[in-house]
Amino acid sequence: MTLLAWSAVLLFFCLSGRIASFLIPAFRVNVLLAGLVFLVMACCFLFLPGVAQCCDDELCGHPLGRWKFGRIVTFLILLLPMVTAAMFSPKNFGAAAILNRGIATDAAGLVQRSAPARIRPPQPLPSAQPVVDNPAEPALPTKNGSQPATAAATPAPAQTAADDYLPKSKDGNIVVQVIDLLYAAQDSSMRADFEGKTVETIGQLMPDDTHNGNGNRFKLMRMFMYCCAADAKPIAAVVESPQQPTAPEMAWVKVVGKVDFPIEGGRTIAVLKATSVKQTDPPAETMLY
Amino acid sequence: MSWFSFHFTDFALSFLSIIFEGIPFLLLGSLASGAVEAFVPRESITRWLPKNFAAAIMVSALLGLVLPMCECASVVIIRRLIRKGLPLPCAITYMMAAPIVSPVVALSTYVAFRGQSPLEMTLLRMVLGFLIAVGIGLAVRDFPAEKLLQPAMLDSLPGRRRTGLSMAVAGDDAVLNLTGGGVRGKLFRTVQSATSDFLDVTFFFVIGAAIASTFNTAVNQSLLVPVATNPALSVMAMMLLAFMLAICSSTNAFIAVSFRMFPPSAKLAFLLFGPLFDTKLFFLYGAVFRRWFVLTLGIGLFIVIALICNHLGLILNT
Repeated sequence: MTLLAWSAVLLFFCLSGRIASFLIPAFRVNVLLAGLVFLVMACCFLFLPGVAQCCDDELCGHPLGRWKFGRIVTFLILLLPMVTAAMFSPKNFGAAAILNRGIATDAAGLVQRSAPARIRPPQPLPSAQPVVDNPAEPALPTKNGSQPATAAATPAPAQTAADDYLPKSKDGNIVVQVIDLLYAAQDSSMRADFEGKTVETIGQLMPDDTHNGNGNRFKLMRMFMYCCAADAKPIAAVVESPQQPTAPEMAWVKVVGKVDFPIEGGRTIAVLKATSVKQTDPPAETMLY
Repeated sequence: MSWFSFHFTDFALSFLSIIFEGIPFLLLGSLASGAVEAFVPRESITRWLPKNFAAAIMVSALLGLVLPMCECASVVIIRRLIRKGLPLPCAITYMMAAPIVSPVVALSTYVAFRGQSPLEMTLLRMVLGFLIAVGIGLAVRDFPAEKLLQPAMLDSLPGRRRTGLSMAVAGDDAVLNLTGGGVRGKLFRTVQSATSDFLDVTFFFVIGAAIASTFNTAVNQSLLVPVATNPALSVMAMMLLAFMLAICSSTNAFIAVSFRMFPPSAKLAFLLFGPLFDTKLFFLYGAVFRRWFVLTLGIGLFIVIALICNHLGLILNT
């Protein structure tokens, strides 16, 4: 009974696609396989009732299986939380859990990963001079004694080079995810790809209490998952908009605007200067990974 | 902002994600344990042991590589191994090492720490787990079985009078004869043993996942900054958490990695201490060993692992 219930829950989440809100793709196949193995094991017990004994009394090393009350408690603990959680689990965390975890607006506190393949250039762009990530910090001179260029002074790469690998929307805007903007803020070559260009992205609307001196900013938040939703970290790009959006907090919005990377509080952050903020449907996969 | 704000839907999302992530590994460990139980004759294990004591201890600490068992299963198994004549220090060494020095645990640790120095964390966990188990095996060498084992367990040893049933250990002839002794019968024995181990351990895993999910979603984690950023406090806090959560060694890496605010040394302490001594093991050990030994083991492990991880923290956390 327990094995059947577990099998049903695991297979339901896999086959319905709801598993996408819980795990990164690499782990999803494990859940499917586990569901199938549970099914096979349950069939063994269904068709061979003798196998269903725990152990014989002498050999039994399972303290909870020795007495009836223990078996009932085990049954309830194994089934009740699992089934209840399966019935009421949403696709995304609520505002309270997000605020409890704290929202990151830069990639410094995130696990260092290479840039996502979809926004990574197919080969390194040739650069005549080394680029300094933070113009406020002095850079080492080059071998020939010339001063390295700062990110701001570096000429933007040719539009055609970026166009080759950056995905575009029907309107010609560069389609990015919030995490791309955060990584770009830490990486001069990615920053040059986005800076001053019109991009569009979606996320959940959250008020901005930390970078909002003029009262014209809000956060565009996504959950960034390492392995599973339990370890997901809320991340956000700052959006600057002349008109505050009318959508409620935590609503999904699509923002179109130009990207800027100002240095605030001693660190480079991604700010999206919005030309359009519209409420939209949640994406198929609410978590980024 | 309140330090605690519980919302069931957030809890459900976090809880299920830990369950979905960990259950396949728990199942894999249980199946491996069941297969060993059904297919590997216990006498063959003792035949492989070297005659030299220190070498035998080291081989016992590596047995988990070929006989992968989670911590609950290893406690169950050593009762049978002791009954089959495995020296007590070797059995204790195997019991301590198997939940850490095992391919299943290595794989789950590596996968869980993807993007967070997985190779370093996995190697440190394996090597330190091995060394700690060997140290305990060598330390109990001079203790007679009468001082370490529960009376009922002592009575079940070869050559002793057997009384009572609470800790009685049966030989191979007591294996349930459900479907004959052939491969088919052993396969069913594998399923039976794997299911029993799985349900037993999952009971504690579900409770651990529930506690971890409550912590992850309801507690304002900015309050943990003072603890998480203090190297010594963070190590001890994670060890206490490992004791309370009682999560299986094959899946606890996934829980450890979710405590993002804590430094790597504290996560390593969680990974080392949890499989060796937690709430469920306290009770399981008590069924085999005398209470003084269980308490000494717990306190000793806590101090040794805290010292090791604090020292390693100077390198790991930079």
